[in-house]
Amino acid sequence: MAAAKKQEQEAMRLPAEVLYQQELEALKKEDKGAVPPGWQMSPRAVLTFITGGKAGKLDITPKYIGNKRLVEMAIATLVTDRALMLIGEPGTAKSWLSENLTAAVSGNSGLVVQGTAGTSEEQVRYSWNYAMLLANGPTQEALVRSPIMRAMEGGSVARFEEISRCASEVQDALISILSEKTVSVPELGSETSARKGFSIIATANTRDRGVNEMSAALKRRFNIIVLPAPSDLETELSIVKKRVSEIAASYQLQASPPADEALLKVVTIFRELRSGMTLDRKEKLKSPNGVISTAEAISLLTNSMALAASFGSGDMTDEDLAAGLQGAIVKDDDKDKLVWKEYLDNVMKKRGSEWRGLYQACREMNE
Amino acid sequence: MNTASDVRISVFGVRHLSPGGARHLLQYLDRVKPTAVLIEGPSDATSLIRDLVQPSTVPPVAVLAFTDEMPVRTALWPFAIYSPELQAMRWSAKNGALCEMIDLPSGAALALQDLRHRSAVERAERRAKEEAERSESPETEGSGQPDLPGGLPSSGAPAALEAEGVEEQEAGAAGRSLYERIAEMADEHDYETYWERHYEHNANPDTYRDSILAFSAEMRALGEDRERSEQPQEHAYNHVREAYMRRQILKAIEAGHDPAKIVVVCGAYHAAALEEPAAGAMSDEELAAMPIRSAKLTLMPYSYYRLSSLSGYGAGNNAPHYYQLMWEAMEAGRPDELPRLYLSTAARNLRAAGTHRSTAEVIEAVRLAEGLASLHGGSAPTLQELRDSAQTLLGRGELSVVAEALARVDIGTQIGSLAEGVSQTPLQDDLNRELKRLKLTKYKTAVAADLSLDLRENRRVSSQEAAFLDLNRSFLFHRLELLEIPFVRSRPAASDRAVWAEDWIIQWTPEAEIRVVESTLLGETIEIACAYRLRERLEACTSISEASKLIEVSVRCGMTAQMEDGRRVLQSLAADSRDVAQIAAAASRLSGIIAYGDVRRADTRPLVPLMEQLFYRGCLYLVDAANCSDEAAYGMVSAISDLNRIAQEHDDAVDVPLWSAELNSLSERDDRNPKLSGFACALLLERGEMDTEQCAAEVSRRLSPGIPSELGAGWFEGLSMRNRYALLSRMSLWQQLNGYIHSLDDEEFKRALVFLRRAFSSFSAHEKTMIAEMLGELWGVNTEQTAEILTGELKEEEDKMLDELNDFDFGDF
Repeated sequence: MAAAKKQEQEAMRLPAEVLYQQELEALKKEDKGAVPPGWQMSPRAVLTFITGGKAGKLDITPKYIGNKRLVEMAIATLVTDRALMLIGEPGTAKSWLSENLTAAVSGNSGLVVQGTAGTSEEQVRYSWNYAMLLANGPTQEALVRSPIMRAMEGGSVARFEEISRCASEVQDALISILSEKTVSVPELGSETSARKGFSIIATANTRDRGVNEMSAALKRRFNIIVLPAPSDLETELSIVKKRVSEIAASYQLQASPPADEALLKVVTIFRELRSGMTLDRKEKLKSPNGVISTAEAISLLTNSMALAASFGSGDMTDEDLAAGLQGAIVKDDDKDKLVWKEYLDNVMKKRGSEWRGLYQACREMNE
Repeated sequence: MNTASDVRISVFGVRHLSPGGARHLLQYLDRVKPTAVLIEGPSDATSLIRDLVQPSTVPPVAVLAFTDEMPVRTALWPFAIYSPELQAMRWSAKNGALCEMIDLPSGAALALQDLRHRSAVERAERRAKEEAERSESPETEGSGQPDLPGGLPSSGAPAALEAEGVEEQEAGAAGRSLYERIAEMADEHDYETYWERHYEHNANPDTYRDSILAFSAEMRALGEDRERSEQPQEHAYNHVREAYMRRQILKAIEAGHDPAKIVVVCGAYHAAALEEPAAGAMSDEELAAMPIRSAKLTLMPYSYYRLSSLSGYGAGNNAPHYYQLMWEAMEAGRPDELPRLYLSTAARNLRAAGTHRSTAEVIEAVRLAEGLASLHGGSAPTLQELRDSAQTLLGRGELSVVAEALARVDIGTQIGSLAEGVSQTPLQDDLNRELKRLKLTKYKTAVAADLSLDLRENRRVSSQEAAFLDLNRSFLFHRLELLEIPFVRSRPAASDRAVWAEDWIIQWTPEAEIRVVESTLLGETIEIACAYRLRERLEACTSISEASKLIEVSVRCGMTAQMEDGRRVLQSLAADSRDVAQIAAAASRLSGIIAYGDVRRADTRPLVPLMEQLFYRGCLYLVDAANCSDEAAYGMVSAISDLNRIAQEHDDAVDVPLWSAELNSLSERDDRNPKLSGFACALLLERGEMDTEQCAAEVSRRLSPGIPSELGAGWFEGLSMRNRYALLSRMSLWQQLNGYIHSLDDEEFKRALVFLRRAFSSFSAHEKTMIAEMLGELWGVNTEQTAEILTGELKEEEDKMLDELNDFDFGDF
């Protein structure tokens, strides 16, 4: 037990059900709603877990900040045993939402297929332990079940990350699983039928290199929810602030969390570059080629914190921020560099004295 | 009235346009069986109830009140099939109960609206003034408060607070946040959803009326103080209305109705204030003191589109067609059908637009919507949930895919209709008569239709009326356009038949109806209204181009008398004008009217002398006006072309020799804009008034060495604007141009290049090839090769040189 505890402490990143164990337990205890078969709490409690609220005396932190209706739609989808697909640009909290949903619904967010171009159909259905297969022939023991098959057996929710990166034929393997809710193993002459509570949450990227178009047949089997970039500055600010402090705590960064002012600057820059115009909608801007998501802003700020902690005084300086911004915005080519330079001189320079320090630092960095 | 002091009557508070309210109201009426049903609505509209409940009246319809003098103020009371008020009227008609409207008569409502509007404007002005004063002398105090309507006790709001709430919209802002907070407390996303789930879906007849009464009483208690202090006008207005309604209720009691058998149907907000009508009813003196404006009432067809808040109607119905579906489902006793009906209709709309969605997806969408409703503990999905699940399933996550299909289900395209002859204004009657006479009645629908008119006489028919049917239609359409009645829109006809054909798009909208009603103020018939409007515009007219336009309009409208008025105005304006561009434009428009006026059977002869006069003035001022900058020269070029066209088309009427003489003089003058001189020269060539020899002499004079390049090249630019083939066929001209360009030094060549490039940029590829070949011949090289080199793509080097020219310093020009 003690060893397991230590292991947990040393894990780089804890799964949601461990991280928020206390909240989940409080929610289960206080839950008064009807619990659907296979779920560990009522849909209402799942909603509270994701969007925040109270369970008894315990404050539940909001996990997804933004449009609450989207979360409701996601939960209602799982209640009706439909598979759920979360679509969005990189960094719109798709995986984050899917992990937390599975943690709340089935208490286990570990049944994951991580989709890549190399994912094969075996990883979606089942494969064999070849040593045992050769020694004993096809037996139950030699069968290696995929996370999806295990979720079917246990009546829980499986996750399929980055489904659009898999080859089409691998994606297609899901079609029959989703409509028939069974996986047959002809070698054993057996069949695994899904227990109640089984579902799949898939996430997919729409705007990235190396993604495959999904077939209409596959899309039809999912309820599709598009996760948008945060709708306004305040929402994005609160998301960034919350995640940065969480990550800093888990990495035990020895730097003070960024000042609200720095957060505001970074989020403002990101929003302006993303939308291609200034916040007051008066000036048109060029957008860089790369994706400038909220997740990037979060990692930028944590990076800057790490920089400040390891090489600086522990307080984040304009130089630390500038280094982070440079890396996040100027991704691949010289064009981004020009876009960034244009933004610096046309927008940031005119913003007055509060921005002066950051402007100088960014300019030096971008030389 | 002492006998009535302790009476209580039954009040049924509703939300206007609420199917749930209508349903419960009908059940309530069936139970109470009142002998009198009193409805919140202008009391003088009581006479319209008979028409409203007629089976031939198809909602949505509206009662429109308008003042019959300037400034026009209008007020609308729209009714849909599911309006509780309309259903109450229908119930009364069926059950023989008295049915009356009891709110302020429309004249008083409009007068008070006028007052509130005016004082809001005054307050805004005063505030602006005060602010200006305050910045000068900080001690200046705000003046007193504005007069309240009807001499009512003023609420004693401090001036400082008062200045805050200038616009009526701000009432909404304060109220909205309260509604938002209610929605939040009920864990709903917005107030609409809260309302739908808690009231529209409430199937329990007993709790509905009580809960809505309690709810609105509480809301009122919360908001009233604030309204009193921040918006005394609104507050006082409500107060006056309620006092009047109480008075009307008492009148019904005096007329012998048992108070227990009276049901008042009013907005939930007023419900609590009307239960005890004896307290604070309006007295006779107060009634006499009330400001009244002379107003008229009419029924008019309405549309769901206008009803939806999308087009600005604020009384809270964002999805009129959806609520109609809800009402129909309730009527059929199957309210649970609504989600299926809604989503399958949306899917059908999608399929009709070419996006296939399967029935399985509709089924899943219904399940998702029900799942969403149960998350909120609701019994049925609300509109928002239906929309969300349609987006997820039918739109595959994208709202844009389903937005149009959903708008069709939510808002719909329904448009109401009234029986023939139901309370129309004289102008509406006249329009309907005209439409019937011109066989256009079938176009009076909400669906846009195209109609092509052939204005020429139809010789295959026997009667005069039929022969000029299309022409008369055109007159009517132009008159409607003049009155800004959005019933018809013109579409440009193809140029080969533009003289005798017109294309129109015809679409009937409630907006058109409103405009028709408003135009009643201008005159009793369309013709009189048009005449009034034309006279108004002629009186305000200050420029000759505008006056000539008005003449054109009156010809198109078939109004000869007004054409004569226009002619007089134009003539008096033209006498003072020396602006050749404007004179030419007006003359050209007149020439068009004169040339094609007979298609419209207009006697345009009186216009001929005026055109002559304008033409003459144009000629006289031509040379003067040609002394202008290059920019003004563009306008002059089209003026000269216009005048030249008139000289050709009306050579019997206008002074052609004078025109030739003026052109000659412009062509010869060296001190005018060179481009215009060149253009005049081109016209002379075209008119055959300059022979080849003269032309050659002129070219060599203009392009002789030593002439500044911008003059020479500018002249050539003007020359090349007309009649290219005449130029292309004159080898000698190109020889001279060639020689001239050779004579320029580098710096001058650069300057000339700018003009020459511009001149040649409008040549077609074929013309350029011809020039190239000619030059090849001149230079004694292979013509084809020359053409290839000259018309080919620029090399990088050459490109760069041209780019450098862009930075060329034009400072000396």
